[in-house]
Formats: sequence, C-alpha cells, structure tokens
Amino acid sequence: MTIVVGFSPEKGGRATLELAVLLARSGRVEPLVVTTVTPQHWTTPSMAKVDAEFQAWATGQGDVALQQAQEFLAGKAPELDVSYRQVAGRSVPAALATACADAGGSLLVLGSSRDSRPGQVVLGSTSEPLLHSSEVPVAIAPRGYRAQCTAISRLTCSYSGAEESGDLLVAVAEMSRRVGGTLRVVTFGVRGRTMYPPEVGLHAEDMVLDRWKTQVGTQQRTALDRLSELGLLPDSATATIVTGSDWADSMAELEWQRGEILVVGSSPLGPLARVFVGSRATKIIRYSPVPVVVVPAAVASKVAEEVETESAAEVKD
Amino acid sequence: MSAAASGSAGLGTQLFRRKPVNHMRAGVEHGAELKRTIGTFQLTMFGVGATVGTGIFFVLSEAVPKSGPSVVISFLIAGVAAGLAAICYAELASAIPVSGSTYSYAYAALGEVVAMGVAACLLLEYGVSTAAVAVGWSQYLNKLSDNLFGFQLPSALSHAPWDDDPGVLNLPAVILVVLCALLLIRGASESAAVNTVMVVIKLSVLAMFIVIAFTAFDTDNLADFAPFGVSGIGAAAGTIFFSFIGLDAVSTAGEEVKDPQRTMPRAIIFALLTVVTIYVLVALTAVAAQPWQEFEGQEAGLAQILENIVGSSWPGTVVAAGAVISIFSVTLVTMYGQTRILFAMGRDGMLPQRFAQVNPRSQTPVFNTIVVAIVVSILAAFVPLDKLADLVSIGTLVAFIVVSIGVIILRRTMPDLPRGFKVPGYPVTPILSVIACLYVLSGLSWITYAWFLVWLLIVLAFYFLWGRRHSELNPGALVVDPDDPNPAGDR
Repeated sequence: MTIVVGFSPEKGGRATLELAVLLARSGRVEPLVVTTVTPQHWTTPSMAKVDAEFQAWATGQGDVALQQAQEFLAGKAPELDVSYRQVAGRSVPAALATACADAGGSLLVLGSSRDSRPGQVVLGSTSEPLLHSSEVPVAIAPRGYRAQCTAISRLTCSYSGAEESGDLLVAVAEMSRRVGGTLRVVTFGVRGRTMYPPEVGLHAEDMVLDRWKTQVGTQQRTALDRLSELGLLPDSATATIVTGSDWADSMAELEWQRGEILVVGSSPLGPLARVFVGSRATKIIRYSPVPVVVVPAAVASKVAEEVETESAAEVKD
Repeated sequence: MSAAASGSAGLGTQLFRRKPVNHMRAGVEHGAELKRTIGTFQLTMFGVGATVGTGIFFVLSEAVPKSGPSVVISFLIAGVAAGLAAICYAELASAIPVSGSTYSYAYAALGEVVAMGVAACLLLEYGVSTAAVAVGWSQYLNKLSDNLFGFQLPSALSHAPWDDDPGVLNLPAVILVVLCALLLIRGASESAAVNTVMVVIKLSVLAMFIVIAFTAFDTDNLADFAPFGVSGIGAAAGTIFFSFIGLDAVSTAGEEVKDPQRTMPRAIIFALLTVVTIYVLVALTAVAAQPWQEFEGQEAGLAQILENIVGSSWPGTVVAAGAVISIFSVTLVTMYGQTRILFAMGRDGMLPQRFAQVNPRSQTPVFNTIVVAIVVSILAAFVPLDKLADLVSIGTLVAFIVVSIGVIILRRTMPDLPRGFKVPGYPVTPILSVIACLYVLSGLSWITYAWFLVWLLIVLAFYFLWGRRHSELNPGALVVDPDDPNPAGDR
C-alpha cells in the first residue's frame, strides 16, 4: 500500500509531510512517494528557446522542492522508504491523480489551502477538484499540522446512518485493525432552524432532532453489531451522537486526541467510483481540527465486500 | 400489538388516555438559546406575520357576495372570535409546552380520541389552507405576469376543474407547493429576520391599497349595507375566519416569552388590533370603491380593484408583486406546520412510524414532506378556492372550540399544573370564546358541514382501526424514555 504525497513547499508542504509520515508509520510501515508537480512546457519549440529556458527553470524549482522534502524526511523519519518524483502537468490535480495511479498509490496526501487559519482544514484549488474526482482516498492535513506522536491513536468514523456509511464503517474498522489505534463512531446532527412565524411552536425542530437521535442510536448499534459479527469490533470502540445548533457547534462538542484522524465518506450521488464530497461532508471537513481522510463510496464498499467474504470463508473453515 | 392486549385496557380508558405532560417535554433542551428572549414587539410580529397573507389577498371575492358591504362587520366578528381563542390557546400552550400544536395539547389534556379529532381539524387548518393559499398565489402570479409581460397562462392551466371558470388543473399552485416541499426537504426555514421583512412587505402593500382605494371612496356603494341581513354577515364571517388563522402562532411561542403573564395578552391584543384594523380598512375601502356585486369571481381581487380605480396597471402590479413574494412565505410556513404536526402524530403512533422518520442525509422528515406535498398539490390543482376556504375555517373553528373547552377541563382536572400564562377573566373568557366560535361556525353552509363530518369520520375510523392499536401509550410499545440522557448509549 503506497502513500502518494502531493508536495509543494510554499503550500503547506511541511504539514503534508508530517501527516504522510504519521500515516506511513502507523501499523505496517508503508512506502512514501513524494510527488511535486511542475508546469508543463510548451511543446512547440520557439525561436528564442524561451520555452526550453522556462522548462529548465521549472525543473530546477521542482528539484529544489524535492530537495527540501528529502532534507525534512531524512531528519524526521530516516527509516521510511521514500521515493521522489517530479511530474509535469498543466493542471496540478490532474497530474497528481495520474502520478498516484502510476505509482500504484492507495492514498493521496494533500495540504490545506493557504487561505486557512492554522489548525483548520480548508480545501484549496488542488484538493477541491481532487475531492470530486479522486479514485483513491484523499487525506488532507490541517494548516500547520504537526503530528506530535508517532502513530495514529484513534480513527474517528463519521457515520451518517445512511446505507453507504455502513460500508464506510467496515472499511474504517478494518483500517483501524491494520494501522492500530482505537475506533470511534460519531454521528453529527444539526438541529433544524426554527421556523418563523412559529405556527407549531418554537420546539418543533427539537422533536425532529430527538427522534433522529433515537433513530441514529439504533442504526449505530446495528452497525456495531455488524462489525462484531465480522470480528472487527475492538473492545475500545465507542459510539457517540453529537448535536448542535449548527455544524461548528456540533463539531465543537467532540474531544479530539493527538494523532487522531477523522474519516468521512463521499456522497453516493456523484460518479460511483470516485470521491464526491457531499454538502454535509464538506461542512464536517471544514470544522475538523484533525486531519481528514475522505474515502470514495466505491473503495469503502469494496473493502466491506472483501472483509465479508473473508469472514464468511473463516466461518466455513 | 394484539387486539386482545389493547382490548384488555377497556375501550373507554383507551380512548381517553392522556399523554403524560413530562413525557412530552422530551428534547426541549436545545431551545435553550431561545429561553425567555422574546418581547412584546417580536411576539406581535409573529402574530401579524402568521396572520396577514393567509386570506386577505383573496378572501374578499368569496366573502363580499355573501354579505355585501357589511363584510366589514363580519371581519370584526371573526377577529373577536380569533382573539378570544388565541388567549385560551396561550394558556394551554403554556401549561403543555410541546410542539405539534393543538393536537399535542388535546392529547395531554383531553385524551387520545379527542386528539385525533383535533388532528383532523388541524389537517384542514394547515394542509387545506396551504392549498388555498397556493391557489390564491396562482391568481396573483397570473396577474403579475400579465401586467409585466402581457402573458397569462391559459385558463385550462390556471383553474381547477370545478371552478366557475373551469380549467383542467391549477399548475402554478402545484409548482409553488412542490418548490416549498423541496425547500423543506433541504431543511430551509424562514428566519425571524425574513419574517419581519415579509411583514413589512405585506403591510406596505395593504397600506398602499388602502390609500389608493380611499381616493375612490363612494358612499353610494355602501348604501345597500347589508343586502342579506344578519345571516349574510354571519355567513361571510365564517368564510373570512380563514384569514385570521395564524394568530395562534403567538400563543405557541409561550416558553420563550419574557414575563408571559404580561407579554402574552398584550402581544395577542396588539397583533389582533393591527390585523383587524388593516382588514377592516382594506374591506371598507374596497367595498366603498366598487359596488359589492362586482366582487364575485374577481381574481387577484385587490390588484384588480386598484387598476379599475386608477385606470392604469402599475398599482395592480405592485400589489401583485407584493402578494406573490409574501404568499410564497405563507405557503412555506403553513406547509411546514403541517409536516411537523404529522411528525408528532407519527411519533405518538397515531400514524405509521414512517411519518416520524428522519432522513439521515438531510435530517428532515422527507417521506412526511413528500406525502404532504402530494396531497396538498392535488387539492390545490383540482379544488376551487371558495370550497377550500370554508373547509379551512370549519377545521380551525372546531380546533379553537376544543382549545377553549380544554382550558376549562384542564383547570378542573389538573389545577396544580404550572401555567406560564393564565386566561384573564376565567371562566368567562373561554366560554365567550366558545360562543363566538359557534356563532361564526353557524354561518357556514351545510355542504361544508357535510364534508367536514365525512372527513372527521374517516380520521376517527382510521383511529379505531389502526391508531388505537399502534399508540405509543399501549403497554409494551416502544416508549423512548425522555429521562435517558443518552438513548444511543456508549459502547
């Protein structure tokens, strides 16, 4: 399982590498491929050879970037198996996606946009398109992220109660078994806004929220039972429902650990095989204080299928 | 639930079993940010916002043919009845602070079968009024597009089949209902600020109407003041009552109101005075501006009257634009109310559980909203406005009577229940309220009564055959304990 890192030194490069190291070190050590994208030169040669000069300059910039990454990783994680690649492309997201496929990567690590405040996950011009097109899970580091520990301590799975999030949970539980760390299942609820004029009272939405909580509680229990049938339920697993008057409020209800990762699923409304982040997941990502991994619905259901066949085979044996 | 088990409790006990009040308080903790913050002004705005717009834009063409210019008196009578009922409503709402409107109050105070009867009335008050309001909206939309672009939908697509001017279906009304349903599924809501803006739009438009219509004030039009006598006034009051629904919105906000004993009656009275003043002025200037015989069948009435007075289309355009914007919000609010009442019923087991199911993606009751949208669309598409308006009135009036009686019953059965607000002048006020509502009811036609009875029987039959056996109050039913702090449980 290779981890591909999209690296750009001036765009939160260090935070990206920190997250990549944390992910690579957790569980079995995984190889890293640090990739930087440089602008593609003009293919028609010009008389004055400016295009060649530009390409030389761009390649030089890419080398400098990779050099920086190499220095950092040599100091931070000398034990890791890291390779460095420079790819040329007109669009950074497209070039990264191709590079990831070429390297046989199973996870793409990116940084947050420079527009974000420190500690915040904000999607930028590279991560945003990738979150709507990547075929592998995408991990995004908050701005200025520092791992502060050597392995993933806990995986939090954002479980919505919708059908596809059951598969996501299986995939996350499987990942938690592989990389270590405890498992936490969280469902985020937001109270509907009060309608004015309040013809049925100002508490109508509390009634809906209350009912939703009961409903999701049952769904969480069913989902955890499924995990335990598959032999994937760690003893330390916890399940919570957090609610608030808006997304920020609801996210703020949770305690986070060092080395914690939040996993969200992509919406099934987009193309099946790809990540397509829905409106709820976008908000969860925005308010997350820890790195986020977005898993495409197809990847999650494939993992769930594999785990189920495996467990069925074990039962037969 | 087996029939034997439900039968063992005794039918009488079963029909009149009441939902424990503390049981119904479950899940109110999230309203904490709203606690006791609402003052008289904001509360008055709720009342005015919820009331103006439900009927005044189109009720004149239904009511004036029944009473002539004395429609002004009908407005006063309907207003007094609505105001008295709203005061009774406020006491019940403060004693039983739960969502789900009168249905929940009746369930806690009067028992299951009464709650079901009230639910039948509320389905008329909210569901049918959504349809009626959507039909009215369609008239103004047609007027607006005609004035602005010279384009009008053909009669076949803008009128119900049994209308005076028969068509095939009322397409704009259906589109409006579908749009509102989509907004509700997405979880959209109208904020307090938007409500205030809507109130301002409605009041400005009506003020403009009053001013312009006043310039054409002709006492000759009032000469034949009550062509149908007292009975005509009563009949019109029944139809007009429709335009006062929503005044109870004030009462349902009781929990958050600062000093409710003082604020509540003030807000109800201020809202009522504002609404009645506007309605009476609109009605008076309208009947003085054109002979009462001309009202019948007039579509987008207020806009049409202004155009006839001024002889140019601009005032009609302004009124139509204001109506199109503000009636949209009225439709959204009443439709929302309908879905949440059905939600409460589904939660209590009076309707299939699916009505109380929340979609995990949107976190809104999607199934419920779709059902409401389909039923309301069918009503709006095929039933003409006058039939709808009378049904709304009868449903609302019966619900108001139950509320007024409920106040008296609850004072006797649970005298110690804490009440944030008590009806002043008890027991005279609730009794007067019942009498006023009965008087307004008496003006409605026998056809309306017949439809209402049929509907009530359908709902009660459903209760006897289904709801009675599925109620959450049945022994062994899945009752969620409201005192359990974390029903999901940590694992």
